[in-house]
Amino acid sequence: VQLWRCRCRALLSRPAGRLRAHRDLTAGPEMHFGFQTVTEEERREKIYQVFESVAKKYDVMNDSMTLGIHRVWKDILMHKMNPCPGTLLLDVAGGTGDIAFRFINYVSSARERQLQRKLKYHQNLSWQEIFESYQKDKFNSLGDSQVVVCDINREMLKVGKQKAQHLGYSEGLSWVLGNAEELPFDNDKFDVYTIAFGIRNVTRIDLALQEAYRVLKPGGRFLCLEFSHVSNPLLSRLYDLYSFQVIPVLGEVIAGDWKSYQYLVESIRQFPPQEELKAMIEDAGFFKVDYENLNFGIVAIHSGFKL
Amino acid sequence: VRCQHYPPLRALQASAALRRASDEHKQEPLTSSSQQHFDSPPAGHQPEQEPQGPHPSYTGQGGQESEDYESEEQLQHRILTAALEFVPEHGWTAEAIAEGAKTLGLSVAAAGMFHSDGSELILHFVSECNTKLSKLLEKEQKLVQLGEAEKKPVDEFLRHAVEARLRMLIPYIEKWPQALSVLLLPRNIPSSLNLLTSMIDDIWHYAGDQSTDFNWYTRRAVLTGIYNTTELVMMQDSSPDFEDTWRFLENRVADAMAMSSTASQVQSTGEAVVQGLMGAAVTVSNTETSRAVR
Repeated sequence: VQLWRCRCRALLSRPAGRLRAHRDLTAGPEMHFGFQTVTEEERREKIYQVFESVAKKYDVMNDSMTLGIHRVWKDILMHKMNPCPGTLLLDVAGGTGDIAFRFINYVSSARERQLQRKLKYHQNLSWQEIFESYQKDKFNSLGDSQVVVCDINREMLKVGKQKAQHLGYSEGLSWVLGNAEELPFDNDKFDVYTIAFGIRNVTRIDLALQEAYRVLKPGGRFLCLEFSHVSNPLLSRLYDLYSFQVIPVLGEVIAGDWKSYQYLVESIRQFPPQEELKAMIEDAGFFKVDYENLNFGIVAIHSGFKL
Repeated sequence: VRCQHYPPLRALQASAALRRASDEHKQEPLTSSSQQHFDSPPAGHQPEQEPQGPHPSYTGQGGQESEDYESEEQLQHRILTAALEFVPEHGWTAEAIAEGAKTLGLSVAAAGMFHSDGSELILHFVSECNTKLSKLLEKEQKLVQLGEAEKKPVDEFLRHAVEARLRMLIPYIEKWPQALSVLLLPRNIPSSLNLLTSMIDDIWHYAGDQSTDFNWYTRRAVLTGIYNTTELVMMQDSSPDFEDTWRFLENRVADAMAMSSTASQVQSTGEAVVQGLMGAAVTVSNTETSRAVR
């Protein structure tokens, strides 16, 4: 793995060298793009290109890379959120809509249970009144819950919209083009803000966290699902082996794009570990910040409240 | 990449939902007091951010309380108290907590701070009831001390205390079986047992128990038994104003009193028997000695 990384860095350092020569022309601090060093603007552009090229094969690649486990991770995120009907969710970097669709499923079954319970509570109603209440509530099968899917990348949103149409999701969904560092929404609007496997690609994480704080209502919840650091040394070595040897190969075979998936695994390594991210979230103003490791730290869910 | 000047900004940032302790008297609705836009540079605006007075110290993550703002625990208490009124309709669930948070002006997502099975809500309710009972018993004790009321005999006092405590369950009686089952979950047993034992201890304290021997344990065990069984009877009691339950309670307390007097009777009988045996043994030995002498 070490030899591989050196070779990689040799290949990638050449463009970086050229960039450094032009340092006075390109303004902005140095940032990481995988294991490269680039400026902020360059990074944003490169990441946009990465997702533009992977958009169509995004879901297929997710399934093959994580052997389908990413579905379980997203389900766990939804269970942790435990939204009740009437919740307004903002899913940032939600591109292909995985979280949004799960939210809609969860909320509609919660709504059904709620309606059944209401009926039991009012069991003295006549059959006529029960029938009428069915009519009334039929048009409110989500209980006024809404999810806004926000993504910076037009291609990802396109794929998401197509998927929604294909799967039959029509109500409660909105698709908005926006940058996590500068959201096009007003203050105190949303109940829950989620960002699943997206915050790693944000160039200024602190700005994104501040925006999250801004658009959440008081009492609102911030949830972040992201690849994180594995502390177990044996598992960490296996994970590294898998990440650097298998994933880019899969990327080439399935999506025809080695570089993007190389970027992906490198960006996971560059991302701050659990405690550091927790500190950053607290800095943005959130309270009761906590994280839960899934699969020994391969993935972590961070949660904070705007109190 | 973290900018250096963010930590001081957090200290000055007004919390969105945690109220200043002084606001609690005014009972203002919860609005964020001074939400800042994070585009504005913090350095030059520091004096303007808090027009109300000294800089608001926020609560540290360790739950340390500041002079001005309430802590997260206090906010959680307020949410749970507000949630209680929705329990008859939604049960002891996260939905009741969400509704409670809504009445305080918070988002429904605030219910995510608590466990999804409603354990914290139930424990909060039990602890509130215990506090109310303590206050009631203390007030009555003061009346007795001032001579304005008669001191009750022990059995009547116990009956009165247990009835007063069980009556607090009446508004939630339909969903109480659900609460009992949640309280028995292994995760909750330490806390619920703790609350139960401290309540029983309180009742005995106000009943005037000052025992320092094994009686302390027997008395608490007996009263715990009485309380738990009466609570279970109350769950399926459909008589008007739970008359059957109070009658059951009366019988159990009478049983306990009889048992304790029986116990002391048994003890004195035992002592008498032992003394008789000793006397018989002495008599026999004297007879033997006198026969040996003869």
